[in-house]
Amino acid sequence: MKACFPASDARLTMILGRLLLGCLVGLALFANEAVASEPQTLTRVAGMPLAKDFSLKDMNGKSYRLSDFRGKVVLVNFWATWCPPCREELPSLERLWKMLNHKKFEILAVNLGQGPDAIFGFTGALNPALTFPILLDRSTAVFKSWSGMAIPTTFVVNQEGRIVYRAVGGRRYDDPHIVKQIKTLATTGK
Amino acid sequence: MNLRVTLCSCNGSGERRISAGIFFLLQAIALLSAFVTGAVRAAETKHEINPKNGIETWEVRDQGVFLSLTQMTPDQAEAFFLARGFHQKSAKKYASACVFETIFRNESAPAAVSSNLADWRIITPQGERHLKLEADWDRQWKADGVSEPARIAFRWSQFPTKQRFEPGDWNQGMTTFGLPRNSQFNLIFKWTVKGVSHESMLSGVRCAPDNDSR
Repeated sequence: MKACFPASDARLTMILGRLLLGCLVGLALFANEAVASEPQTLTRVAGMPLAKDFSLKDMNGKSYRLSDFRGKVVLVNFWATWCPPCREELPSLERLWKMLNHKKFEILAVNLGQGPDAIFGFTGALNPALTFPILLDRSTAVFKSWSGMAIPTTFVVNQEGRIVYRAVGGRRYDDPHIVKQIKTLATTGK
Repeated sequence: MNLRVTLCSCNGSGERRISAGIFFLLQAIALLSAFVTGAVRAAETKHEINPKNGIETWEVRDQGVFLSLTQMTPDQAEAFFLARGFHQKSAKKYASACVFETIFRNESAPAAVSSNLADWRIITPQGERHLKLEADWDRQWKADGVSEPARIAFRWSQFPTKQRFEPGDWNQGMTTFGLPRNSQFNLIFKWTVKGVSHESMLSGVRCAPDNDSR
């Protein structure tokens, strides 16, 4: 009789070793994946300040006043065609727009400093096309009055005209977490 | 101790099995060590070269923030501002100032991060210097008679001098370092979280070379 480390124990050690190795590789991959897929969130704005009202024209000359949308949740996105993250996130805003009830939710995409020709040069090539209003803040006075520092910046205004959420930098607006944040606000006002 | 005794008295086949098992365990431990030390080394600068165009990027993740600098060639920078209404003299002036596309992100800092480019330092063999900021350029554009629409585009294309990043917020914009083409430098960048100062460094960053030298 041999006082040997039993073959079954050796196999068990091997299996455990491989399992541990697999777990570690998985952990490493998960860590990389977690970095690659950034969390998509809107930040709640402390004190929910009243959004400064504005009146801006769209590319066809039609005027839009923010306060006309009281009773709805309004997502106000500030952007420009030459801003890479702005270009990247706009299609996701269109997807969000299609997902939500327009009786309770509105999107206003406010372009900074550009004219209709420059804007259409970009939006005309998008598929699907953007169907929410694109407004022109040629002097950027509205963005400055909203204390905008960088584009893209997005604000979500509640039914009472107060800024509830803000996002600086590009987002995927059809991300389930953001959709839930906006749906909850549209249905509960919170 | 028990294991060592049995190993010594084991036959060849059993020894091979045990050795394989221990080998895998050691591999797992080695991988764990690499993973842990990798996390610690995450503050090291990562450098990448785009194989298609030779454009270089330096990036670092440290204390919950991410910073990357990607070279903008003089051609790219000049073309961007010519298309925004700059006249060639001013566009060239900017393009020759060592321009980088800059991304800063609050990935996992415990609270909002505040940055002020005026606090960042460029370290070269010749000494320390500051970045050239948006307000510095704007004074120049006014003196050069650059149109207001062009100056508006310039303002929003630049990485803001002061900014606050809530968790998940990020920004992308141009920064200028005012160094000759091909100059190499380290960048000490600083931020505050809840009033506490933090800093980190991007090492071995290099301004884009002449357009025709790639």
